[in-house]
Amino acid sequence: MGVVPAAMAQVEISCLVKTYPDRTGPGARAVDGIDLTISDKEFMVLVGPSGCGKSTTLRMIAGLEDISGGSISIDGRKVNDVAPKDRDIAMVFQNYALYPHMSVYENMAFGLKLRNVPKAEIDTRVREAATLLGLETYLDRKPKALSGGQRQRVAVGRAIVRRPKVFLFDEPLSNLDAKMRVGMRAEISRLHQQLGATMIYVTHDQVEAMTMGDRICVMREGRILQVAAPLELYNQPADLFVAGFIGSPPMNLFTGTLAGEGASVCFVESGATPFPVTVPLPPALAAAAQGCAEVVLGVRPEDVQIVAPGTSAQAEATVDVIEPMGAETFLTLRTAAGSLTARVRPNEVVAHGQTLRLAFALDRLHLFDRATERALRR
Amino acid sequence: MSQSSSVKLRTSELPISRLLAFAVLAGYLAWVMYPMAWLAYSSLKADEAIFLDAFALPPFGDLRFDNYVRAWDGAQFGDYFLNSVVVTVASVTLIVLLGAMTAYALSRFAHPLGPATFWLFLAGLMIPAQLSVVPLFFELRALGLLNSRLGLILVYTANGLPFAIFILAGFFRALPRSLYEAAVIDGCTEAGAFWRVLLPLARPGLVTVAIFQFIGVWKEYFFAFMFASGDGTGGARTLPLGLANLAITAQFRTDYGMLFAGLVIVTLPILAIFVALQRHLVKGVTAGAVKG
Repeated sequence: MGVVPAAMAQVEISCLVKTYPDRTGPGARAVDGIDLTISDKEFMVLVGPSGCGKSTTLRMIAGLEDISGGSISIDGRKVNDVAPKDRDIAMVFQNYALYPHMSVYENMAFGLKLRNVPKAEIDTRVREAATLLGLETYLDRKPKALSGGQRQRVAVGRAIVRRPKVFLFDEPLSNLDAKMRVGMRAEISRLHQQLGATMIYVTHDQVEAMTMGDRICVMREGRILQVAAPLELYNQPADLFVAGFIGSPPMNLFTGTLAGEGASVCFVESGATPFPVTVPLPPALAAAAQGCAEVVLGVRPEDVQIVAPGTSAQAEATVDVIEPMGAETFLTLRTAAGSLTARVRPNEVVAHGQTLRLAFALDRLHLFDRATERALRR
Repeated sequence: MSQSSSVKLRTSELPISRLLAFAVLAGYLAWVMYPMAWLAYSSLKADEAIFLDAFALPPFGDLRFDNYVRAWDGAQFGDYFLNSVVVTVASVTLIVLLGAMTAYALSRFAHPLGPATFWLFLAGLMIPAQLSVVPLFFELRALGLLNSRLGLILVYTANGLPFAIFILAGFFRALPRSLYEAAVIDGCTEAGAFWRVLLPLARPGLVTVAIFQFIGVWKEYFFAFMFASGDGTGGARTLPLGLANLAITAQFRTDYGMLFAGLVIVTLPILAIFVALQRHLVKGVTAGAVKG
């Protein structure tokens, strides 16, 4: 492909604040003093529940929202007061935002025309992008004559032809059906590799975040909770929220206290009798948890094993729901305290109502301080 | 079983109800169309023929096209027509342009005085034109704009703006904000986003406003009579004034053929505009109703 790689672009965000003033005062902080550096050519995903400030952050990078405090730099240049058109960015919107009165070709060429790019150059770039995205046969169509997936491709194409320093994606796949979403996900990842551009991608879907991002920035209530590579985020969540948010099905969490001393410290689930979840802790983890009044134990569904009667087990549970997925089976199990999810092999024979003994992979346990919600690291 | 019988019942009912509907609609069509047809064919009759049998069709061998020639030349309809074209085109252009810009500003920017301004404009829709005629008269006189096309254009523009703003603000509000944002990121200035992206998308609304205002200004009599009926040959007199003059003189000269011809001349442009743009009009009205 003759696509020219994008210019160097590192995005630096420091102490970024966005407040929406209301009548009574300064109002709520939608973005609360975040610091984030997105390296050149990096695919950074901002993820979090709605209202966490991820879209607001993206829109501030784009210049669509005023910055209440802090600063944003692109490629070393502070852009706080630079108009969107002069920031050398392109954005793909959730609702595509294609110009309905222009053809696919005109939609893609619009930004270049405004920048007085020569006609021949525009034509080359638009056709190149169209080939890249499989849109060659649709160039004369109006957006309304395209399917959702094709419209999304045009929106991406409109960004590509500009060859911006930074690509911004604002939940671009959330209007597509599940199958198309998987396809476009792969396509955007492929584009990132081909273009070698800096991309910032906002989503509330943790699967998108995990599959696409070089790094993921998990946000909540205007703050950054953790920035890490996908697997690091999965294996070493920094706090309770990240632990519960990343992973599907989510991590099982039990609240309890520590019992025992020395080399035999146990986690004991509080309030669950007569079969509390009781887990012996590795010494390092037990040491980290010293001094915590209450702790939360986290177990990934794949770290729950069904063990034979008579062997040592950490919990007892009855089978509530069986969800065969083909390659694996999810079991929703009921313990005395609540439900827990296990990911088991598809050939595991279980029946509704059956009582199972469960063992947890002790070397893969997560422990959190209940009060601070921070992870306790071994 | 019951379903098929009900279908049968309905199909047997259908022709009667449809016939009834057709009959009612045909009656209504005749009721509306006949006066127009009567006007059109009477404009080709000689006065004697009109008085002999007012409703008869004109004798085929004796079609009086010279009625039109007399109306156009003799009654200075040429001058009136030109005045009407200039005043109407200029007024409608200004109304659509200024209306779109105002509506866009009011719907796009959150200004503390925005809602109040919008309601102030809307108030213009509710004030009867007759109330404003005296102050307007003095204003125009002070500006030396009585009996001038410019005076009429200014009055019509001011008068048409509230309607245009009301309709177009609805259109602009219905356009997704992301379109503006995409345009701004693509490289548009604030004005560029308006002209290149948002204004073209409000086209159904612009057409709706243009048609309604064209009809309104083209046939407007009251303001024209107050501000432009002064003496002088032609001056700024528009067709409705000319027509009224024609009616008055026709009373004494009993030249009804010429009067009818004049009426046809006045009506034709409206009809032509309406036929040409009616598709957009219907689209505009429904789009406004659903989205606005």
